[in-house]
Amino acid sequence: MSGHSEDPVAEESKRFFTFFNLSMFLVAITGIEIVIIYVQTFDSSSIIGVLFATSIVKFIGVIWWFMHLRWDKVLNTILFLMGLVIALATYFAVIYMSDSHPVVEKFEVAKIEDQWKAKHVYKSNDFVLQQDAFFQAKLDFESGDQFNPKNWKKVKGIPHSISYRITGGADTIEINSLKPETPFFHLSHPQGEEEIEASTTALLASSATTADFRLKVRSEAFWTESQ
Amino acid sequence: MSDASTHALEHHEPVTSTGIPNKKVLMWAFLGSDCMFFGTLISTHLIYRKISATVGGNFLDIRDVFDIELTSFSTFILLASSLFMALAVSAIHKGNLNSTRWMLFGTIIFGAIFLACQVYEFTHFVHAPGNELTLSTYRGEPHVFGSTFYVLTGTHGTHVAIGVFWLLGWLAYSFTGKMSTAHALDVEICGLYWHFVDIVWIIIFPVIYLMEYAM
Repeated sequence: MSGHSEDPVAEESKRFFTFFNLSMFLVAITGIEIVIIYVQTFDSSSIIGVLFATSIVKFIGVIWWFMHLRWDKVLNTILFLMGLVIALATYFAVIYMSDSHPVVEKFEVAKIEDQWKAKHVYKSNDFVLQQDAFFQAKLDFESGDQFNPKNWKKVKGIPHSISYRITGGADTIEINSLKPETPFFHLSHPQGEEEIEASTTALLASSATTADFRLKVRSEAFWTESQ
Repeated sequence: MSDASTHALEHHEPVTSTGIPNKKVLMWAFLGSDCMFFGTLISTHLIYRKISATVGGNFLDIRDVFDIELTSFSTFILLASSLFMALAVSAIHKGNLNSTRWMLFGTIIFGAIFLACQVYEFTHFVHAPGNELTLSTYRGEPHVFGSTFYVLTGTHGTHVAIGVFWLLGWLAYSFTGKMSTAHALDVEICGLYWHFVDIVWIIIFPVIYLMEYAM
């Protein structure tokens, strides 16, 4: 593109008015942007649409006339647009990734203190408290009138249930203990569920609460933590 | 080809296969890369604004901190400085040294006013009672807004400051008696940088400031 004139001085004199008019136009558009924000007559999506449109108009006005792209060779425009396109692509890619990220809706760690009950259906690995000691069921069974030690295994430590609910999908769920005296680590890889609700148990050396644990959830580029 | 390029060629700028002086190609390539730089900073701010929208359980309403009148004023100032810069480039093409000098001076003054507004704004944001927006906290609560906001607007301010020093260099050079139309290309390249700083603000002002009032 070439705007080269036979008389550069006359050409520059003509541009003076172009520059002045453009400058007034830019000031007027900026004024409109501020006024529509103050007036608040339109809904937010309309305002955002207008702001985007006016920004693009001002952007093009400056690069096309003030930065002389209108009169320069097209290579300069291409060089600039390459950076601009990559910048915009980066922006939209990251916006897309942020649209879906995991949210920890619930995360609870609680001590299991269920007393043994007669005539109760127990499942394998259930925990009960019997005479100040913790036991774990060896099999699925229904309890009789008396506590039968054959069906139970006495455990060292205090059983805790760890339950969580995550929305927005997750690739990796990691639970760590934050206290060195109660070491615990749990890792799972859910397969594409949007909403994940699960629980696990842990035998800990001492009593612990939710505050003693950290839940980390990873989905695409995002790590979300319970604390 | 622009007149600047024409003048440059007339004043023995090396002829290139592109027909554009190397300095100008270099500046446009730099501006393209700077687009990516600012694109990243703007994206980072917008994404963290979206995923970290609350502070202490409440929506972070940054309008309580922003001083939109001051920012609007500094936006008009920066737009006006772009007009001065365009006229400075135009004047050096015409060989009007006196006009070039005055237009450069106008650009520098307006650039300095913009910087002064930004310094006042940052000071006000951090220290004014009820604002306390620091790099890592908002009113004492940990929050990422200050970090992405200050890095973005501070990087832009640094670009403006570099532009002001560059222009000061040309203003000082214009008093040495050596400045002529042979320097039109160099002043135009300086102008490209200045206008770029302006267009970055054209994006930052609505996207970072005005959008807060639309939400």
